Amino acid sequence: MKIPDISRRRFVQVAGVAAGTQFPLRGADTPTAKAVVQRVQSALGGQWVADGVDGFKAGNPNTPVKGIATTAMATMDVLKQAVQSGANLIFTHEPTFFGRQDGPSPLRPSDLPGLSADDPVYLAKKEFIDKNGLVVFRLHDNWLSRRGSDMTAGLAQELGWAKNRVRPDDGLYEIPSVTAEEAVAHIRQKLKLRGGLRAVGDRTATVKRVLLLPGFTTPAVMRRRYREADLTITGEVREWENTFYAADVFTAGERRGLVTVGRVVSEDPGMCVCAEWLKTMVTEAPVRWIPAGDLYWRAV
Amino acid sequence: MTGREVVELVKQNVGVPWRDQSYRDTFKFGDPDTPIKGIATTMMVTFGMLKRANEAGLNMVITHEPTFWNDRDETKDLVNDPLYQAKTGYMRENGMVIWRFHDHMHAMQPDYTVVGELRSVGVKGGENAEMHPGVLPIPETTLGEFASQAKRLSGARALRCVGDPKAKVGRVLLGPGYATPRMTSDTDIVVGGEQQEVDGLFDNVQYVADAASLGIPKGLVMLGHVVSEQAGMEDLGKWMQTFITGVPIRFVPADEPYWT
Repeated sequence: MKIPDISRRRFVQVAGVAAGTQFPLRGADTPTAKAVVQRVQSALGGQWVADGVDGFKAGNPNTPVKGIATTAMATMDVLKQAVQSGANLIFTHEPTFFGRQDGPSPLRPSDLPGLSADDPVYLAKKEFIDKNGLVVFRLHDNWLSRRGSDMTAGLAQELGWAKNRVRPDDGLYEIPSVTAEEAVAHIRQKLKLRGGLRAVGDRTATVKRVLLLPGFTTPAVMRRRYREADLTITGEVREWENTFYAADVFTAGERRGLVTVGRVVSEDPGMCVCAEWLKTMVTEAPVRWIPAGDLYWRAV
Repeated sequence: MTGREVVELVKQNVGVPWRDQSYRDTFKFGDPDTPIKGIATTMMVTFGMLKRANEAGLNMVITHEPTFWNDRDETKDLVNDPLYQAKTGYMRENGMVIWRFHDHMHAMQPDYTVVGELRSVGVKGGENAEMHPGVLPIPETTLGEFASQAKRLSGARALRCVGDPKAKVGRVLLGPGYATPRMTSDTDIVVGGEQQEVDGLFDNVQYVADAASLGIPKGLVMLGHVVSEQAGMEDLGKWMQTFITGVPIRFVPADEPYWT
């Protein structure tokens, strides 16, 4: 099957036509992947960010959709589970092909870290996608800009703290008092973590306020918000920046801590919310969430 | 001997032309003309390390990584930060001088961070390694066994791995700190300190996980930034002792920050 290459400009044109499209009734013809994406664009509203990373990454957008899967990251394992469950359209928050470029980059010296077109893992993954008629769409920038708060709410839901949000659309939650060690054990169990979780700071601190920051946390956000909570839970930070900020805060005598669970793991629950949201606009095909999970393990 | 004189001696002995435009390899705190009672080398001048150095009577710290939690050691956004005030207050009170040695250290022959990291994970033959040692052969083993050896030798508490632990491996590509190399076709295991997990120039984590899912033997071993470059700062101290006498030079490790 030849995969049509939809240019960014063409995609924006297609998306523009979609505004005002009616959602078909249940039992109507199966929509194509492109039609589903158009519904997503309409439902998200506002100006579609077309110069970011969002868009079709693999497969034919004209493929009729049998089932939809959402995930934080379309790993091979997620794609295999999608096929097993009958889903052929995958909405992934993070890349499919090993980097922001999401595919091979021309081999210029400045691109040396990029992916080469004859890479065996890339070719095998692409073959799996094509053979199974999968379509992969990256939904990142546009989701975050309008539904970013759902990433936080999803993480809170998964941790059992959904009812404890201090302010709407914010990451601060008030939970029943526990120690930092107990909170970490709870997080580890609820998010089904294997080796990705790392904790810094005071393990004996009393934790009543937690700050949920799914994804990556910058130093600016860290400095502004770290003292609002007893325990900050995020996906990823740079170790030489925020990890050591947290370590130094502890040395300075403040009883708080920082937990990083892995960027992908922190984003998985938000994509569960995305699946629920998609169900409100796609009734012709089942929608399910397939978490990418914790890819790390620890040496023994 | 003053802090400035110590740095002059390092510049004279480093073996590569000194680039004054390096924003990293500069004094980060204190008066460079302070008389130096003792020098501590460390991978990162954490607040805890700073206290241990001071308590050991060492008033100059040579740190590989930043003092103020950002690469450029920018402080303009930090002046009202209570942690910044506490850390600088401690350094001021105790007359400490902080100098960062990073870029030129990686340009040295050998690059002690890489030499130390290779030793920390049990890869032989890296005594004269430069910053990019290339793919190094190891006796054939499994990813799981290699990772266990790396954990045992490096002492890393939070060493994270990706890939199939049973994968047969024999070729290692290693980089220090944030310079974790990308997986290549002639590499079985990539070893690094830290790296952006996803959405970067090349995402090792996803690549290695997918390779495992496809039955292609690849592995990723992330030591943590401190652990990956720590051993090399002890080597650096020994090197400095060959041209600085009369001032004690001691390795004061930064602690691995993670408790799990």
